[in-house]
Amino acid sequence: MKSKVTKVLFIFIAVLCFSAVNAQNKIDFVEYDLPNGLHVILHKDNSTPIVAVTISYHVGSKNEEPQRTGFTHFFEHLMFEGSENIARGEFDKIAMNAGAQLNANTSFDRTFYYLLLPSNQLELGLWMESERMLHLRIDSIGVETQRSVIKEERKQSYDNRPYGSLMEKIFSNAYTEHSYRWTPIGSAESINSATLEEFMEFHSIYYVPNNATLSIAGDIDYDQAKVLVEKYFSGIPKGKKEIKRPTIVEPAMTAEKRDTIYDNIQLPLVAQAYHIPAMGTPDHYALSMLTTLLSEGESSRFNKAIVDQQQKALFVGAYPMALEDPGLFMVFGITNMGVQPENLEESINKEIERVQNEDLSDREFEKLRNQIEVNFVTRNSTMAGIAESLSDYHIYYKDANLINTELQRFMNVTKDDIKRVANQYLTKSNRVVLYYLPKQSM
Amino acid sequence: MKKNILIALFFALITLPPSLLAQSKKTSGKQTQELDRSIRPQPGPAPVINIGKYESFTLDNGLQVFVVENNKIPRVSYSLIIDYTPVAEGPLAGMAELTGQILRTGTTTMTKEQLDEEIDFIGATLYTNSNGLYASGLKKHNEKLMQLMSDVLLNPSFDTAEFEKIRTRNISALEAAKTEPSSISERVGKKLLYGESHPYGETMTEKSLKNLTADHTRAFYSAFFKPQISYMAIVGDITVTEAKELMNKYFGIWQKGEVVNNPPADPKLPASNTVVIVDRPDAVQTTLALGYPVELTYGSEDVIKARVTNTILGGGTFRLYENLREKNGFTYGAYSRLSADKYIGKFGVQTEIRNTVTDSAINEILSEMKRLREETVPEDELSLAKNYISGGFALSLENPQTVANFAINTARYDLPKDYYVNYLKNLSLVSAADVKVMAEKYILPNSNYILAVGKASEIKDRLKPFAGNKPIRYFDFEGNEYDPDKKVKEAPAGMTAEDVNNAYINAIGGAKALEKIKSQTITATTSMQGMTIGFDIYKKAPNKYMMKIGAGEMVFQKIVFNGTEGMIFSPMGGENKKLEGDELEEMKLEAQLVPELKYKESGITLKLDGIETVNSKDAYKVTYTKPSGKTSVRYFDTQSNLLVKEVSDQGTIEYNDYREVEKLKFPFKIKQAMGPQMIELDVLTVKINDKLSDDLFVIE
Repeated sequence: MKSKVTKVLFIFIAVLCFSAVNAQNKIDFVEYDLPNGLHVILHKDNSTPIVAVTISYHVGSKNEEPQRTGFTHFFEHLMFEGSENIARGEFDKIAMNAGAQLNANTSFDRTFYYLLLPSNQLELGLWMESERMLHLRIDSIGVETQRSVIKEERKQSYDNRPYGSLMEKIFSNAYTEHSYRWTPIGSAESINSATLEEFMEFHSIYYVPNNATLSIAGDIDYDQAKVLVEKYFSGIPKGKKEIKRPTIVEPAMTAEKRDTIYDNIQLPLVAQAYHIPAMGTPDHYALSMLTTLLSEGESSRFNKAIVDQQQKALFVGAYPMALEDPGLFMVFGITNMGVQPENLEESINKEIERVQNEDLSDREFEKLRNQIEVNFVTRNSTMAGIAESLSDYHIYYKDANLINTELQRFMNVTKDDIKRVANQYLTKSNRVVLYYLPKQSM
Repeated sequence: MKKNILIALFFALITLPPSLLAQSKKTSGKQTQELDRSIRPQPGPAPVINIGKYESFTLDNGLQVFVVENNKIPRVSYSLIIDYTPVAEGPLAGMAELTGQILRTGTTTMTKEQLDEEIDFIGATLYTNSNGLYASGLKKHNEKLMQLMSDVLLNPSFDTAEFEKIRTRNISALEAAKTEPSSISERVGKKLLYGESHPYGETMTEKSLKNLTADHTRAFYSAFFKPQISYMAIVGDITVTEAKELMNKYFGIWQKGEVVNNPPADPKLPASNTVVIVDRPDAVQTTLALGYPVELTYGSEDVIKARVTNTILGGGTFRLYENLREKNGFTYGAYSRLSADKYIGKFGVQTEIRNTVTDSAINEILSEMKRLREETVPEDELSLAKNYISGGFALSLENPQTVANFAINTARYDLPKDYYVNYLKNLSLVSAADVKVMAEKYILPNSNYILAVGKASEIKDRLKPFAGNKPIRYFDFEGNEYDPDKKVKEAPAGMTAEDVNNAYINAIGGAKALEKIKSQTITATTSMQGMTIGFDIYKKAPNKYMMKIGAGEMVFQKIVFNGTEGMIFSPMGGENKKLEGDELEEMKLEAQLVPELKYKESGITLKLDGIETVNSKDAYKVTYTKPSGKTSVRYFDTQSNLLVKEVSDQGTIEYNDYREVEKLKFPFKIKQAMGPQMIELDVLTVKINDKLSDDLFVIE
């Protein structure tokens, strides 16, 4: 766990959540449920003797109570503490001794654990994951240590970093009712107050086979893998408690919301966030393509106009925040030295208005489709990546085969759809606008 | 009889080791038996680690090409390394980097815009850097990509307009990096470790960027970008025959030529631990780095043993991580690196810790370094490290690029042909005794630069014990050392506060012109929470004053001073308030048209307190003491003599963007901090000697 990173999309590394399809590299897989509800997905690829054993629990920060934000991520750290048969501190060592790599991440919607092992260690990986699902063991020493660790993680990744509070500020401004109004890292106060008993209760609700997807990809034999999965997971009882899923619908915004944050930075940042439909909806695909049009590649609208020609920004990009419940279309820009944020925002708005008012040329639309196709074709190059994609498609869409077919959903998007969604969602009254300004100039 | 047998069987069964029991159940085909989970599964037979095949060939111009065919995905990627010896750039620091950047901004036949469009249209990527380029694209567009890549590398235009854009962007990027603790640590750390005259110790600065021109990049390119010192890796859906044909067609014309080769002199180890602070007064955490240069080059037989040694210390979730994170909860992570290099290697520890444990963390790090030198590593820990490394080696082979990298490293660093084939075997031979020898040679607890980027006021006392009898050294972001007790420089001998004040009066137009001002109207706006707020300020000789704050027709606040009495009006609610006492005295001074002309008459005393920096520029610091005893401090730029900053009990105000209005100078940007809020005023108009009615200044 070099970095048990909270998977809050960080602005410079946000990557479109694509998955590949191409007649030439169809991903074959088998999937089934155990009687206890555990969903199992297996993908065989014998070209390298490695195997990715991954498990996703369908619980993220959106399942948290408002006074216990950051709880799911805190719990993710505790999952490395040990089990009835794995002493505290041994989990990492067993993996490393097997030549394996392991890590985990927590998002708004789910928590993902992975072990990447030499393929002769498949059984070990299954044993380890089943141990912490069946009888995780944590004690107060573990809780207190991880509490200190997470506080430092929070400082390192957010508080002590320029623009580090950006995601928190965007989500807390954009959502008033829905539990997306806090981010997975949670607040310092919540991290301070979570107790051991609450963690055990949390495990008994969410870390149960009927809330989990076991996705394995790599150098395996289907029959042998099935036997081993049966051996280690069939004896784990189904959860008895009700799994809480938030049903609250975020009310539509009626007016633009603006806020200014003074941070320890040198260059101003402009952020916009527009409410958009959940991932998987037809409009979400159109909006995803719109972000590609605006900011993927040097010839994209933002890069060409704002970064290169006008030289107003050091960086400017658009990202579709793919979330299970309705999410956000986000735009970020950092000004070049001496450029006022108002000036940058004006240029961003002008580019959005261009999409709203002008038709896309056939050539630009073809370029856009080519870019989308490349993202797909080249996406599934690692076993860990394939296992994660299969698992995500199952959790969010109940259709793991989207790993092969989702491209079609993008290809169904028309030029008019892109213009339409730009007009429908990228409106003033549907957005939050944040300015980050240098504190030291105060 | 029968019964006895059954009983015997029963006893035999329950006394069997649980594992056998489980196994016998499994073979019976039923899963009713409880699994014994205390048994850790044993690995199956070890898989054969195949490093994978590559092919290589050399073009007539000396360019070496390595091809790894892999058709899982219909993509081909290219990475070119131009292996020139690093050069010290001195006042032109950043020359190589900018050369790398300008290559991607146009060729003799294509503008940057055309190039961008061509690359994006086929969904490809193409980056250039100071040591070569990387490109990748779909197989079906392979020849097109080859053609673009060759054009970019061989026919760059070095356009001056594009160079200006690059300069602007790099200056902005440097500005952004000033508040990023890891960037600061990296910049200053390099300078300490390698020294500023070593190519590895240099970093570009705003100043060096201003020294550079497009011609410098052109010259650098001509001197160093040559095929006979270059390596191209081609990985993906391509055969060696195809690769050969395309490489000859598109890179065969690359001309070879002499390249200067002056390896830099090795930097020196610090004689004892040296503590350095980069002060970040807002930091909530200390970014800590310890390190020193080491003589460890590729090809040395120490490399694999040294890797095992460092792994045990902190090359993953090992001793440093266990100690600082899992045992003490000081940090999110703590790691060390011991890296070989073609010229000079490096050891370094990196961690982010809370301010109050800065001393404890350093103690733990140094004691872990000592322990590795003094105690023989236990066998289980040694095998853990070796297993972890060999696992990583095997897992890395999933990426076909790894095989290409192995091939290039073998050629580039002159390694034995079977270096990577024998890697795992040699790794398995590393003994605990080897580790101890390596630790004694490379892990040096008394020769570190200890660099802390953090809040000096909270950590300096905690760091003192590690500096021995030497003082703690202070560096700024640019890597310039300064004396923290002498931040204020002496003003030139003989200069007085009056001189500074007079120079300011001259700079804004001169006493004669200023005395002719009989009235002044300033309008300004600021934006708060998306609303535009206007400020109108009127002054009329000798000392009438009125300020109105509002939005559109609405007036939020109005301050009126008629020469003797003052009043604050709050039309939107709130009480109106009469100015009295100190506030009235302040108002009297504020209401003067040019208070700088009349300090003596107002009973204000001035004192020059030397030179300080304001926004990286030197400024005279003058303290003004009013008759009330209140003081304010004003800073005047030493070059322009203009007022740039004022600090009083009203907060801090900065003045920028001076513009001329009727031969007088006024600041058009005024920033004022008020509590946590910052108001940024944009001055729209300044009018001098308009006829202002006395009605404006009537208190109703």
